[in-house]
Amino acid sequence: MARLYLESWAPGFGSPVEADQSLPPSEVEVDPAVEVDGAWEPLPGLDDGVRSIAFVDGVRRIDARLTVFDADDDSGLPIPGLCASYAVGATVWQRGPAPRSTYEQVAVHRIAVLGRGRAEQMPQVRGLAYATESTEGEDDDQLTAHVQTRMRQAEGACAAVLAQAGHFVVADGPINEFAPQQVIGYIKTHHRSYLGPAEAGCVAALRPGERTPMFRINPQAKFQRYSWYVRLAAVPFGHAWSGVVRCESAFALGRDEARKIADRTAAILPLVAPPLHIDPRAPQNLVPIAALEKHLRHQLGDAALVERALRAALHAPSTSAEQEAAAR
Amino acid sequence: MTMTEAGGEPNEPRQPSAGGRVGRVAGVGQTTSQQFRVVLDADRYLAVDDLVVVRTEVPEAGAVATYGIVTESEATYEGATFESDVHRIGDGGFQPAEQVRTAQVAVTRVDPEIWVAAGPGEVVERARGVDRQRALYVDTIDPAKRLAVGLGRDGDEIEMDLDYFDGTKGGHMSISGVSGVATKTTFAFFFLRMLTGLPNLDTRATANLRALVFNVKGEDLLWLDRPSTKFSPEDAAVWTRLGVEPTPFRLATPSRDDRGGTKPRALGGGTSPTVAFWAPPAKASRDAVLPDVSGRQEGIEAFYWTPEEFIRDGLLQFVFTDASDQRNQIPFVEERVRSQLQRWMRPVDGEPGAVTLVDPSGAVHAAQGIVIRDMESLVEALGALLEPEGGGDGQPHSAWAGRVQPGTISAFMRRLQSASSGLRLGRLVRSGISRRIDRTAATVTVVAIQGLHELAQRFVVGALLQETFREKEMTGQSHPLSVIVLDELNKYAPREGVSPLKEMLVDIAQRGRSLGVLLVGAQQSASRVAPDLLENASIRVAGRLDAAESERAEFGWMLPSTRARARLLKPGTMVLSQPAVPVPVVFSFPRVPWATRRDEVRPEGDPFKGL
Repeated sequence: MARLYLESWAPGFGSPVEADQSLPPSEVEVDPAVEVDGAWEPLPGLDDGVRSIAFVDGVRRIDARLTVFDADDDSGLPIPGLCASYAVGATVWQRGPAPRSTYEQVAVHRIAVLGRGRAEQMPQVRGLAYATESTEGEDDDQLTAHVQTRMRQAEGACAAVLAQAGHFVVADGPINEFAPQQVIGYIKTHHRSYLGPAEAGCVAALRPGERTPMFRINPQAKFQRYSWYVRLAAVPFGHAWSGVVRCESAFALGRDEARKIADRTAAILPLVAPPLHIDPRAPQNLVPIAALEKHLRHQLGDAALVERALRAALHAPSTSAEQEAAAR
Repeated sequence: MTMTEAGGEPNEPRQPSAGGRVGRVAGVGQTTSQQFRVVLDADRYLAVDDLVVVRTEVPEAGAVATYGIVTESEATYEGATFESDVHRIGDGGFQPAEQVRTAQVAVTRVDPEIWVAAGPGEVVERARGVDRQRALYVDTIDPAKRLAVGLGRDGDEIEMDLDYFDGTKGGHMSISGVSGVATKTTFAFFFLRMLTGLPNLDTRATANLRALVFNVKGEDLLWLDRPSTKFSPEDAAVWTRLGVEPTPFRLATPSRDDRGGTKPRALGGGTSPTVAFWAPPAKASRDAVLPDVSGRQEGIEAFYWTPEEFIRDGLLQFVFTDASDQRNQIPFVEERVRSQLQRWMRPVDGEPGAVTLVDPSGAVHAAQGIVIRDMESLVEALGALLEPEGGGDGQPHSAWAGRVQPGTISAFMRRLQSASSGLRLGRLVRSGISRRIDRTAATVTVVAIQGLHELAQRFVVGALLQETFREKEMTGQSHPLSVIVLDELNKYAPREGVSPLKEMLVDIAQRGRSLGVLLVGAQQSASRVAPDLLENASIRVAGRLDAAESERAEFGWMLPSTRARARLLKPGTMVLSQPAVPVPVVFSFPRVPWATRRDEVRPEGDPFKGL
């Protein structure tokens, strides 16, 4: 029987079950039998007392739009560009008798991206270091995607550093490092079920703190990884997939290590999921990640001040000839 | 007020805290020339009442030092949005947040006097040493006029500018506070002890100082010469630090010989000021003249006025001190009778102090031959003159009654009669050898009037204040100073109504400063005291206040934060306002080495060792 449900997220944030454009559409092959043979049953999580967990995330902001106008260019058309800032970092949760969290590895990057492969250089901006990059893309989405890619790379590097430092890393979004490290990808939204109808029933049966058995994505292809679903919280008036997130870990970790990690996430992630009323993306937007995002946004600096600095840099007479012209 | 220190131990000042940087001036929101906030360093703190200094480089003007006092301390979790975040931060530890402590500062002084706001981000230091003195304007007080009254919340001395008490620039002190816990009287005595004991003070102000104190409740003030069991070595250390040896007052009540002469008491060693105790005679002691106190027999003398003294000093006016006495023409009758008594009074041979009335014109009158030995016979004599019953021609004597309505005369007589009963003034006036209070016998004269009827209390206070004030008016010299400590001031100078006592107190408040008569008035509710008295008090001190009382306009001199805390002050902690320092300062004074009630008296023979 069909029924209508209201999603728990504030509408401005989309829906936890809407299509996520960033996932490559080729990933369809799934092997559901890597952990259990036969019918799936919910598995209880297990907190193995991991000492510290690092939640890695990034934020980005378009600071300003640029346009390159080259009178010598044959097309005579303006070339788009943009200035963007992104920040990545982690909330490191030290567990133990006196638990506390700190922000670590926080870094702010600023780039100017020029379309159509233009090699012009951004002038010096006072107090802000913009690196100039170019991309072949020409429209806004492609420029933004370039920034997004840079941010994802920075997140990946941050996660790797923290994993090497001995932390268990929960990185926002799918993983893009496939080395055997203690990093899981944390995916808040579901654009498709990787599971067949038989296994999908197990997701519906999950209670908070339980997970589905692991399955293997792309068993034959390059980006192999383990994945599983975890229910963070029982969402009142929710449907079968409310309050469910998907996690993934590198296939290279090996099945036993991946299972240990999966058990751990099922037990620990519900602890740090926010109650519905305090976050517009509850329960999926974990408390350490939400706090980190706020902190990172603050690190980006005041948007108006950044824009003013950019304006000052680009409007300043840059050559002596221009200075003379301005003086006249 | 009682001197009971119920409701907690006196507030111990905390250990002096280190100077140096404590944080930076906050940058969110604006700083003004009046106030700013300090964001504290993680390893430092500022508490309310702490003093700070900020040095700001001001364009054109150069370095400007801003001094201030902390009026509120604040703390928050930066990073918390919801109240429940504290659990995620504190218990779970998975939400990052930082405890941020800040302090609000009210500016007390800018040096040089360029009133600019302290710069955001400037380093804030705790004011110590010279900076602290500047913050409290101590540097503007003459070193010989710095009277230490206790320790501030930062553990250092708080000083009062004596110029504003001794009449140089101002005079009088007003002490307010809830009975019992505000330690008003204890502070008044502590103040007297500092005033007479501090070596740095200008001797002109302190030499031969005389204080007149009325004990109005209990017998709490009758133990000033006895060591206290409550006094601890820590208290002694504070006394020593302030520069005064912690010893009780020395008993100096003159002992009487049988013929009415007095001989000075042999004083013990030491340099502490002397005290003499006086009490009215007990009711039952018609001939023996024993002081009416239950606590102590030794070292206390009975006092009374002879009819001759009563008439000569015009004390009749202090019989009619009730506000209702002033409404009809009673004061008119009283004034006439008072001066008539002075004109007609003649001593009686063989009866010291007794008088008889003789018409200067030689005419025989209705009271002829009546010997006035006490109030009763005075009433009898006045009755014969004012309300003759068939005697004479049945008319009141015209020189005494004037043209006043018979109803007024009888109201006067009725009131005089009821006031003269043995329970009221009766025992204060009697013939015999003079037993006036000798205010020169000791530095502090304590008059125990707690056992008297209110009417008689007002009479004694009025009589003694007049005596003190007149003496000063006669000499025209303001020094040596004469201090009057009067608790429950609202009884003697209430806000509403008029009475000769109130008039005199207002007169003292207004003119006493130049005459060297200084009033230390204490009251539970300043709002019930005549405004003239409060307005003329340059020094204001408050202990714990009733919550409603602290909101009244009489306490407008307090900072809002001080007002809010005034109802939480512990015994021994007070707020001081003085004209030299534009902000009220909270301080604590140590316990006193003398007993403040009978059960604190250290038993004899117990050596006062180690102190």
